[in-house]
Amino acid sequence: MTASRRLLPWLLLTPALLIFAGLTLYPLGRTLALSLFATDYGFENAKFVGLENFRELWDSRFFRQAVTNTVLFTVVSTVLEVAAGLGLALLLDRAFPGRTLIMTLLLAPFVLSTMVVTAIWRAWFHFDLGFLNNLLRTVGLPGVPWLFDPNLALWSIVLVDVWQTAPFAFLIIFAGLRLIPQDVYEAARVDGAGPWRRFRDMTLPLLAPYLFVAALLRSVDSFKLFDKVYAMTGGGPGQATETVSMFVYRQGFRFFDIGLASAAAVVMIAVAGLLAIVYAASLLKGAGR
Amino acid sequence: MIRIVAAFGLCALSLIPLVWMVATSFKPPAEYVSTSIALWPQDPTLTHYRVLLDGGMWRLGLNSVVVALGTVGLSLLAGLPAAYALARFQLPKRFDIVFLGFVLVIKLAPPIALAIPLYQVLRALGLLDTHLGLILANQILALPFAIWMLLGFVRDVPYSFEEAAMLDGAGFLKRLLEIVVPLLMPGLVATAVFVAIMSWNEFLFALLFIQTPSKFTLPAFIATLINEDETLWGKLSAMGLIASLPVLFAVGLVRRGLTREVSVDQH
Amino acid sequence: MRTMGKALGAVLMLAGLVLPAAAQDRLVIAGRDAGFAPALAKMVELYQAKNPNVKIERLELGGGPLYERLAVGAREKTAATDVAMLDDIWAPEFMARGWLTDLDTVGGLPGEFVKSAIDVSKHNGKLYAAPFVGNIAMFAYRKDLLAKHGFERPKTWSDVVKAAQTIQSKEEGVSGLVFRGIKGNPIVTSFLPVLWAHGGDVVSADGKAVLDSPAAEKALTQFLSFKALAPKGVETYNATELRDAIQQGRAAIAVEMWSSWAGTLDGSASKVAGQVEVVASPGEVKGPAPMLGAWLLGIPADSPNKARAADFIRFVTSPENQKLIALETGNPPTLAALFNDKDLVAKYRWYPAQLEALNVAQARPRISQWARVETILGDYLQLALIGQMQPKQALTEANAQIARALSR
Repeated sequence: MTASRRLLPWLLLTPALLIFAGLTLYPLGRTLALSLFATDYGFENAKFVGLENFRELWDSRFFRQAVTNTVLFTVVSTVLEVAAGLGLALLLDRAFPGRTLIMTLLLAPFVLSTMVVTAIWRAWFHFDLGFLNNLLRTVGLPGVPWLFDPNLALWSIVLVDVWQTAPFAFLIIFAGLRLIPQDVYEAARVDGAGPWRRFRDMTLPLLAPYLFVAALLRSVDSFKLFDKVYAMTGGGPGQATETVSMFVYRQGFRFFDIGLASAAAVVMIAVAGLLAIVYAASLLKGAGR
Repeated sequence: MIRIVAAFGLCALSLIPLVWMVATSFKPPAEYVSTSIALWPQDPTLTHYRVLLDGGMWRLGLNSVVVALGTVGLSLLAGLPAAYALARFQLPKRFDIVFLGFVLVIKLAPPIALAIPLYQVLRALGLLDTHLGLILANQILALPFAIWMLLGFVRDVPYSFEEAAMLDGAGFLKRLLEIVVPLLMPGLVATAVFVAIMSWNEFLFALLFIQTPSKFTLPAFIATLINEDETLWGKLSAMGLIASLPVLFAVGLVRRGLTREVSVDQH
Repeated sequence: MRTMGKALGAVLMLAGLVLPAAAQDRLVIAGRDAGFAPALAKMVELYQAKNPNVKIERLELGGGPLYERLAVGAREKTAATDVAMLDDIWAPEFMARGWLTDLDTVGGLPGEFVKSAIDVSKHNGKLYAAPFVGNIAMFAYRKDLLAKHGFERPKTWSDVVKAAQTIQSKEEGVSGLVFRGIKGNPIVTSFLPVLWAHGGDVVSADGKAVLDSPAAEKALTQFLSFKALAPKGVETYNATELRDAIQQGRAAIAVEMWSSWAGTLDGSASKVAGQVEVVASPGEVKGPAPMLGAWLLGIPADSPNKARAADFIRFVTSPENQKLIALETGNPPTLAALFNDKDLVAKYRWYPAQLEALNVAQARPRISQWARVETILGDYLQLALIGQMQPKQALTEANAQIARALSR
């Protein structure tokens, strides 16, 4: 009985462990190993080069640009999405007729396939015939080169990302808002606090952990950015929208510079690991409260 | 009052792109290749849908369904027992913490970072260019999510129910299937729907691991249309609408669950 | 429980669904999109009508994605493609790595093809691909506009700049010229004729990176001066945008005009029918060197349906079908005799000139790393085009990267 009782949890974990071992642990190890080789494929004909690939990444203008773009994109889109999510949550905090319907509709962009989203917005951004520029020209403004101005293209993609994923930030923040006990506000109201002071001194501090989690989850996702760039700009114009994911994809599946691609992948996994630690710490802190 | 107007206004604004897609899917090319801002088609047509259906698009939809079902099935079959074990048993040496930490890293890691070696794994298994291979690859996204989400649901099932059954002499499997699973049903359904949406929309692995055109999933096919240097907006919109209807329907079903998922993420 | 049962059922059903289909008469064709797509589509339609029992699938992709898919498929031996459409610049890599089937082992290929196109389909004397589209980079200008402002056919790129400047300043709403500025293959093929005309090159005959030459710098400086004469947004222009700009009369000169795009110049969608002259590219310090851009059809070495694929390729490259493709889709043929065919010449007045160009055409460097070299060059050219890098710096850095790619 006790032996089987000790074995049981392992038995239950076996399928998941098998899948993780084959599909993540092994690939992770292989990526790590490959990052130390110069190879155009696997380990056959591979040449051990130590940390040469990492040094090359460091020296590569394109990798540095990809990192800069990814960080810029992550920070700006996360801030905007959390801000938009907070705004929406506050707006929908009080019940009114049609609120449920609105909440459902607001979620629509978030569940669409990124490819569908990209198809729509690529058409919208078209310089000569796109909906946005048609709109601008109708009111007498010049068209905007959404995707071909290198100083603008990244922000156009941010716009799409905010449209698509602000509802996700909203969901988290809204859930947090619902959990704030109403009597906190009652007390403040008795003290004569105005709406702005109530928001600043009560709502915001109580919401802070939710804002943090929303920001963390959004930044993790933004950091992976691939689909939108792949189908919207291919990383261009120039390197203006190249991201680290695109860099890995191009080195790996176009150039077959597997060593260099693996090195870049290792960098990404390291960053993901760091973010996971931050996230785990915040979860543990939340659980302790 | 201002609040209501603002809420409706914002909602309408965020839906314009979708309205545009629906409308464009019914427009003849001359109407969308223009500088007009008219949203609604003047001369509605079903050509784009006809072209897609004649082109065997239902086949691609079926592929997406098969992959989504398989991904859901496998992630629940592997994820539920794992979540149960983590929630109910004391594992030695804080293995549960290590395991969950690992799950978290995988959940947060960029899929592209694993794609190159995954290629080799799938080839070794003889599963490149098969739906089963794609279902396996999708587990990287689906399984951590399923475990994470189910863990919260299992913890919510009071252990006392199981203890009572144990006193009645019910074996483990009986307890799991007759007590835990029925109580978990809402959680299982919610998890299944999220995993299904995730798989339905997945693009990168479908792009990399499926080569034969008739095995493509919908997003992979849409990408081939986007990459053409032509403005096939009508066809793309029709395609987009068909690909979106199931998820929009699903989100209507589980909107409550969505809020729930978020609170699970809070654990 | 019922959900679990259903899920299990679904998984079992899947296992059944994904079992490899029994060997069948199948043909999977991976080809290009845009202007090339109608040619293959037409051929598939005709071939299917003649062979109703063959299950034909056709994939349309852009140049970059097509290369990625074919190369990955060949490396992984996925056996997913039976007929592959290849740019002639990819052919050396595919042939040298043994990714294609020797056509003589599957029944051979009859027909007298244009010499430059058959040359790029051979490796060590063996024929690995069939020339499918006899594309060549030409140059196009509006003879009415140039004549109006006192210009004749430009002989050098400097003449081109002069004419474009004049027309741009005097004609309302008309840009002086247009080219493909989008990164990757398009910007590189736009630039190469200018580079060659200045006596520069990317890779020397003995396989060295030679882009850091003074000639290349002069060529790039001149190429960058084109931007001010081109429509806004030329950085993102690809074939469709270029053709539209010429056909709608928004640009007076096309720096490159591939013969497969020229087919619609006199068509009903063109506002400038009969006014566009299609000729060989200008020179500069050297005479013009027309650039070959043939598209080939090959059979991947891992194809499980080689005989069927070979039969399809012979069908597509037969004289009647090559003629049909040219007439209906504007994609130029590869059979030499067709360039003097009277129906075709009646429709495409420049065909005899094109045959001459094809016979002396210069192929791009025949190195197996060209796909990578081209991407590197395309990246740097675009950085220079959008003003983020000086020409000399762009060429020096591109040269270093290319040298590294060649050494691997």
